[in-house]
Amino acid sequence: MNRNVVFVLAVVLGITGLLFAGKFLAPHRTPPAQAGSGNERLTAGDVKGSVAPDFELNLLRGKGKKMKLSDLRGKGVVLDFWATYCEPCKIEMPWFVDLQKKYASQGLQIVGVDIEDIDEKDVVEFTHKMGINYPILLGTEKVADLYGGLNGLPMTFFIDRSGKIIDRHLGLMGADVIEENIQKALQGGSSSAPSSQ
Amino acid sequence: MQKALFSIAAIAVLLCAASAQQESLPSKGRSFVTFEPLDTVTVMGKKPAPVEFTFHVQEGYHINSNQPANPELISTQLHFSLPGDLAIGKVQYPAGTLTAFPFDPTQKLSVYSGNLVIKALVMTPSNSPAGTHTVHGELRYQACDNNACYPPKKLPIEFNVKITRGSTTPHRKSSK
Repeated sequence: MNRNVVFVLAVVLGITGLLFAGKFLAPHRTPPAQAGSGNERLTAGDVKGSVAPDFELNLLRGKGKKMKLSDLRGKGVVLDFWATYCEPCKIEMPWFVDLQKKYASQGLQIVGVDIEDIDEKDVVEFTHKMGINYPILLGTEKVADLYGGLNGLPMTFFIDRSGKIIDRHLGLMGADVIEENIQKALQGGSSSAPSSQ
Repeated sequence: MQKALFSIAAIAVLLCAASAQQESLPSKGRSFVTFEPLDTVTVMGKKPAPVEFTFHVQEGYHINSNQPANPELISTQLHFSLPGDLAIGKVQYPAGTLTAFPFDPTQKLSVYSGNLVIKALVMTPSNSPAGTHTVHGELRYQACDNNACYPPKKLPIEFNVKITRGSTTPHRKSSK
């Protein structure tokens, strides 16, 4: 083997080594979400079957009271990220109000997370005007990041009783699609679920 | 032998690049509006120089006008950081187009889409020393499409203002 060949071989191994080192040793922005502790950040890809990342956020009008997502294990959860400036988000809200009434007894909990930087009193006024009957949490950038960045709204996650994500949807859905996913969320998950009626 | 090694090197590099690409996330810095750069705006003494800021809203998206239809919506605004004693006045936003979107056909929103031209006047006191200043600014907007809305954005812009005793001549750079 002549010297040129050895040199090329060294370059090949060097480049490959550097690229792999960069890929695997650098701090990862986005560890893939797996069924596990529920603290992994969601990626932009398919998140079905992943455990919904856990968080604790202040409740709107809660006077400092917080709500933790993992406390809702055993329920089917709709996690709706929204903002007051988002017109499509407003369209869904009355549907959520109706569906919360319809499925509450079967163990549904809809949770709204307001993702924007405005005064809490404006959010209170808005939710009052919309007649919201489910808890609204005051979102943070950290939680938005945990849920994949939330680059668009509404962003809705359907979570089964075991805390696993059934589906994620960006943008306005039809009421029928929401209801179908709610039924799936209520059907899936642990046996510790409240009995259906 | 050497050819084979070069081929292996190329394949290794391509595979690593493809792998890195697969893991990348959509950019958080996604922009829905672009700014058409301005050439230098020349201001003579205290005579205001008109200037037009041209923006383009990406096809398929809209942004709220400066006077949105309802108070919860985030209006489009142009803000400047002015050097020296330069001033920008009489900022004129175009009227929005009243448009109903599929997510709510019953409601018309006042929006900008396509090209957006905001007019203003650049002014300076008559005793300002001659020279060229760079003005920085930003367009604050919030975009939506027919189905979803996106977080508020700030689009940085900049242009040069030349203070001179000559005539006022705002120029636009030839479009790309």
